[in-house]
Amino acid sequence: MTSTSLLSVRNLVVEFQTGEGLVRAVNNVSFDIPAGKTIGIVGESGSGKSVTSLAVMGLLQKPAAKIPQGEIFFNGVDLLKCNDNQMRDLRGNQISMIFQEPMTSLNPVFKVGDQIAEAIRIHKNVSNRQAWDKAVHLMNLVGIPNPSASAHKYPHEMSGGQKQRVMIAMAISCDPKLLIADEPTTALDVTIQKQVLELMHKIQQELKMSMMFITHDLGVIGDIADDVVVMYRSNIVEKNNANAIFTEAHHPYTKGLLACRPKLGANPKRLLTVSDFMTEDGKEKQVPASRIEVYEKENFIDHGQKVLLEVKNLVTQFPIKGGIFGRTVDHFKAVNNVSFKLKKGQTLGLVGESGCGKTTLGRSILRLVEPSAGNIIYDGKDITNIGHEEMRLLRKKMQIIFQDPYSSLNPRMTVADILMEPLVIHNEGGNKNQRYNMARELLEKVGLNASQMNRYPHEFSGGQRQRICIARALMLRPEFVICDESVSALDVSIQAQVLNLLLDLQSEFGLTYVFISHDLSVVNFIADEVGVMNAGQIIEMDKASSIYKNAKEEYTRTLLSAIPKGETKRSLASLV
Amino acid sequence: MIPVLLGVSLIIFVLFNLVAGDPTAVLLGKNATARQMAELRETLGLNKSAFAQYLDVVKSAFTFDFGRSWATKQEITHMIRQGAYPSLCLSIPAFFLSTVFSLIISLFVAYYRGKGIDLFIRFLCIAGMSISALAYILFFQWFLAFKLGWFEISGFEFGFPDFVPYIALPAIIWILLSLGPDVRFFRTIILDEIYQDYVRTARAKGLSELTILMRHVLRNAMIPIITYVVIQLPFLILGALLLESFFSIPGLGGMTLNALNSSDFPVIKAMAILSSVMYIIFGLISDILYTVADPRVKLK
Amino acid sequence: MKKNSIWKDAFKTLSKDKWAMISLGIVLIYSLIALLSATGLIAADWAQEVGTSNLPPSAEHFFGTDIFGRSVLTKVIRGTQVAMSVGLATSLIAIPIGVILGALAGYFGGWVDDIITWLYTTFSSIPNIMLLISITMILGKGLFAIYVALGATSWVTLCRLIRGEVMKHKEREYVQAATAIGGGHMRKLFLHILPNVSHIVIINTSLQFQIAIKSEVILSYLGLGVQGEPSWGTMIDDAKLELARGVWWQLAGATIAMFLVVLAFNLLGDALRDALDPKLKGK
Repeated sequence: MTSTSLLSVRNLVVEFQTGEGLVRAVNNVSFDIPAGKTIGIVGESGSGKSVTSLAVMGLLQKPAAKIPQGEIFFNGVDLLKCNDNQMRDLRGNQISMIFQEPMTSLNPVFKVGDQIAEAIRIHKNVSNRQAWDKAVHLMNLVGIPNPSASAHKYPHEMSGGQKQRVMIAMAISCDPKLLIADEPTTALDVTIQKQVLELMHKIQQELKMSMMFITHDLGVIGDIADDVVVMYRSNIVEKNNANAIFTEAHHPYTKGLLACRPKLGANPKRLLTVSDFMTEDGKEKQVPASRIEVYEKENFIDHGQKVLLEVKNLVTQFPIKGGIFGRTVDHFKAVNNVSFKLKKGQTLGLVGESGCGKTTLGRSILRLVEPSAGNIIYDGKDITNIGHEEMRLLRKKMQIIFQDPYSSLNPRMTVADILMEPLVIHNEGGNKNQRYNMARELLEKVGLNASQMNRYPHEFSGGQRQRICIARALMLRPEFVICDESVSALDVSIQAQVLNLLLDLQSEFGLTYVFISHDLSVVNFIADEVGVMNAGQIIEMDKASSIYKNAKEEYTRTLLSAIPKGETKRSLASLV
Repeated sequence: MIPVLLGVSLIIFVLFNLVAGDPTAVLLGKNATARQMAELRETLGLNKSAFAQYLDVVKSAFTFDFGRSWATKQEITHMIRQGAYPSLCLSIPAFFLSTVFSLIISLFVAYYRGKGIDLFIRFLCIAGMSISALAYILFFQWFLAFKLGWFEISGFEFGFPDFVPYIALPAIIWILLSLGPDVRFFRTIILDEIYQDYVRTARAKGLSELTILMRHVLRNAMIPIITYVVIQLPFLILGALLLESFFSIPGLGGMTLNALNSSDFPVIKAMAILSSVMYIIFGLISDILYTVADPRVKLK
Repeated sequence: MKKNSIWKDAFKTLSKDKWAMISLGIVLIYSLIALLSATGLIAADWAQEVGTSNLPPSAEHFFGTDIFGRSVLTKVIRGTQVAMSVGLATSLIAIPIGVILGALAGYFGGWVDDIITWLYTTFSSIPNIMLLISITMILGKGLFAIYVALGATSWVTLCRLIRGEVMKHKEREYVQAATAIGGGHMRKLFLHILPNVSHIVIINTSLQFQIAIKSEVILSYLGLGVQGEPSWGTMIDDAKLELARGVWWQLAGATIAMFLVVLAFNLLGDALRDALDPKLKGK
């Protein structure tokens, strides 16, 4: 244990008792957090990073979680030897924590001011009045407008970003020495993420606290971490200072993580993935030279392809109910006068923050939501008002891949049934055996094993489920596919694999995509043309190759500047 | 609420005016002549058209004018007013105490969730719920009142505190009967809350488990619990059918059973309508309380 | 082998739960007794005198004899047939009505939902006991009236639960995905949504079954139930007068018989909910 370390974790092991026996979630992990420094802990879901932080907080769910080995020194005291009362004195006082979900992390029935003041009252000897005043002061510090009025608000009256600011105010209310932040910005929009990151960095500097920042996205911590710890499958695979991690990563997993995130202005044909650097059993491997070539974004080559989809002045509105009898008092235009054309084989990227109407636009095009005005012309035919039966038949050509791979597969159906269902509905693909074979072929094409045909969705990981969703969408050999935030729920390393798959399938089947995402770098990588959406409208549309250089709209520039820069300064070649 | 009241009236009308046979034969006995029966039908308004009879039922639901009992010839409104007092003397204290006890026990088991005491009390609840209410009443009345003589076996006296000895035993049985289902329900609600994210935040603040339970969790759990409690209030006026009949308490429950034995349709109809009206009113009150208790719900 | 894995998982969980398996065993034994009694193989001679009046329990007469010298044990067995038939009939009436109405209301919404919601609100706003009493009184005493009365009251809970759950599932992306591949309403409702809410039917039935048994006892006690045949309710009714004379075994026989099966259904219902309701996993 170094004398300057505030927190020192030594040989920590955490195990969970599950139905299948003892599972080791954290294996022999050691790291230090020096006073006043920020350390980033990076890893994909299930890597053990959150469990490590909960162990430090003493918040692991007993008796399922066990710590058979290790020490956690905080200010020289082994936290694992502290009793409940001692831990309670530390929690919220000397060590505090912010969680990922600002929506559910605050108690819905108490005013936010009370919730901040409560943390002060239990640790400091102050009056209720003083605690409240301090809470208002803190809300001002974290940048909540009009703090003395906002303190009287309930959590549901605030936006996600504001709630996370409240969480930060609560966490710093007792001037903690260590702040643990578990994916604090993952649930937020990019522009809000940037603001919250800047705020956390500023506060960390001002209060001279130490910070433990947990994330799955290396890019996020590039600007704020002093040191980075990379975790993979319960182990620490690399520790170094932040600059060194970005410039001279040693472990193949770290290299893979750095390479797999799409970068503006440096577009490879396909993204590198972790598996390019590392074999299944964790050994380093040589990346083929062809994989690391960097291309300028190619322009979509127009051979005079036909226009497959045209959207004209599309409006989709939802009624707003109000009054005593719940009558419709007004309409909310989720999609407000949107027009664009899309040629066969082209990809249109739609980017925007939550609530901008991009998802509603995608569903309106497929008439999963009925548009209120305007026209959708598919393959020369106006489909805005065609009958349900005709639309049903057209769905063979037009498909969608949803965001959430967990809820978009019926949990009571096998993969085989899920894949064969489109053929059954449209009475295609011959008899049962032929359909089964088609499904198996496609399953292999999306990178899964034919032996998994009779499994159920819950037996697969998120990335694998998304591959099943893609296979289902392609069973009927569609021409046009909408990808609605299809990679947003995935870890960055898995995201790259799925993006590559989508591109491979596009060139093989000549697919036309509308790709919807909140992540401009992802959209920019996959799309030929990018439309930026805000408040139901496409405010700017340009070629992907040029939009990041010559954005005309202020909003687009805000989005661009909010993309985590972390590693973008360096070239890809330096990684290999 | 008005459509529901019309619906309730419809069910009552269908059952008692359409499905039920001619009540005059029962009322006049075997030796009734056809003329007597016709006259009685006329007086009871059974010769009116079906629609007019339905309107009569609807009217009684809004005016609370239920006519006279066939058996006692008294005004039913008067009978209800008389029976309400003993019923409420039993039901209000019993209901209040059983709710308080259930809440205390369920907080206790939620605090010790997963531990032996939690399992034991949960089993006790299920076991308690599995015994017929009749068995409880018979056994306690026989054992505590008849054998040991600790309580009055039956009867009632008007006026406080004269009624206390009479309602003590039925109230204890009432509480025993309610503890099982109430504790189970409250416990589920409380545990639903304990696994929410905001509880983790409260732990991260350094609050003790007890403070978290009594302040954060309970405040959230109270929302469904209040709804559950309020919605049961209308059943208090009905009294406890079985308890009142076993202990000869002259309340509304006993009155209903008497009407049942003498095929006194108007009284049964009146009680069904009255209890539905109360149910609807308290349903509304519970909705309003819900919006008061939960800041997320705005009164529309 | 194509078996629905949620059920398989649930069965695995259940088979590890000692109490659930004992409960299931008890339910099966009661069903068997009821079946044998209904086919006349056992307890057909319940009306026969086997000894003198009001004999206390002994090795020969396990639960003693009643006032007419009939075996209480045989009456308990005969009563099992009544109780189980009431539970079964109630479920057979309540499940189709509750599931179909609940599914239609939850899936189609709009005026369909308005009408069905109105219907079950109406039924649920008349207190159960009043509705039970009214229906049995109108239809005349006997088992048929009890079936109808319990059927009419017990579909409401199931309908409300199914409606709520279908509404939730309707918004899930897997149902939207079914729309996107061209699936019609019937396919979405019956092939996609209903299998995902079917655990509610199982759990609810297990609980409704015991409520029906308890209600039959009370209705029989009130003189509205089976006539001319022993049931647990009429046996308890008899005990009301017998207790004062120290004759407790009719009450004990009927109560124990009922306690075991109702307890079993309660425990089974809980175990099923834990095993089938993913929301409650890990509690």
